[in-house]
Amino acid sequence: MNERPTLEIIAPTVEEALAKGLEQLGLTASDVSVEVLDTGSKGLFGMGGRQVRVRLSVNPPPGMGSPAKAAGQPSTASAPEREADAAPAAADIHDAVLDTTESVVSKLVHQLGFEAQVSAHYDGEDREGRRSIHVDVRGRDLSALIGRHSEILNAFQYVSSLMVGKEAKQFVQLVVDVEGFRARREKQLRQMAQRMADQALKMGRSVTLEPMSAAERRIVHMELQGHPAVITKSVGEEPRRKVTIAPKE
Amino acid sequence: MKDLMEYIAKSLVEHPEDVQIHESGSGDRVRLELKVNAADMGRVIGKSGRVANAIRALLRVAAEQQGKQVTLDVLEP
Repeated sequence: MNERPTLEIIAPTVEEALAKGLEQLGLTASDVSVEVLDTGSKGLFGMGGRQVRVRLSVNPPPGMGSPAKAAGQPSTASAPEREADAAPAAADIHDAVLDTTESVVSKLVHQLGFEAQVSAHYDGEDREGRRSIHVDVRGRDLSALIGRHSEILNAFQYVSSLMVGKEAKQFVQLVVDVEGFRARREKQLRQMAQRMADQALKMGRSVTLEPMSAAERRIVHMELQGHPAVITKSVGEEPRRKVTIAPKE
Repeated sequence: MKDLMEYIAKSLVEHPEDVQIHESGSGDRVRLELKVNAADMGRVIGKSGRVANAIRALLRVAAEQQGKQVTLDVLEP
């Protein structure tokens, strides 16, 4: 019983660390023992503070309700074991899933006829506590991999998510970026959102943007979420769904 | 082109041993016919053909690099 899988997590608070760890392990609080290794320190005005460090040890399965669907699975390397192997710090975990991601994506890029380097890391958690994997593809002359309206990049991202998910035997959400394109596009969308909001207010009626993917519409909605004078909504049917920005009543 | 299709298809299905690809066409036109196990049809086609269309987009990129045009048909098992 000494070789129970363990996972160390660093986060701002003990609660957050626990939630993060359980999410990674796919377990509930009753399945693990928690040991606080470092209670952290507040720091001055929240700056320079040390984060909390906790260690989660997986309790031996009580016979039923074990986390992995072990029956019929060819691979017995279930999540707790794998995570425990590679969990020095939450921020820079490089586990088997990231390795799989890098090798699958890099092979696909080469099969498509491009020369590029591929590196993967975990993104921060979204509001639902899910973590996606960010994949950077860097190389020369990759614009064909983006395509018009990022059509090819989205197809590439979708297919590689499925391929990696199959290989890793779990659902993975990849965000594939080529030469920082998505980051630039996001900035552009945010600026456009603000500009169109101004225009909607100036004209006193709603403004409709060009059709965008769900991910891009989300960026626009988020950007204007806190705006005092406009509301946004999506109208129309995929793949031609568009955001409209309207002055608040 | 066939290698690319084979790599993608075999990575998506439960039964990679049942993946069959037939390449035909002449000149700069390439036609790929993909056959998979009946149980895997959904995995290579997807909801409203989303997966198949994404694969077609990728094949198109690879074909363009060679100055070719490609079509993909997923055949009924």
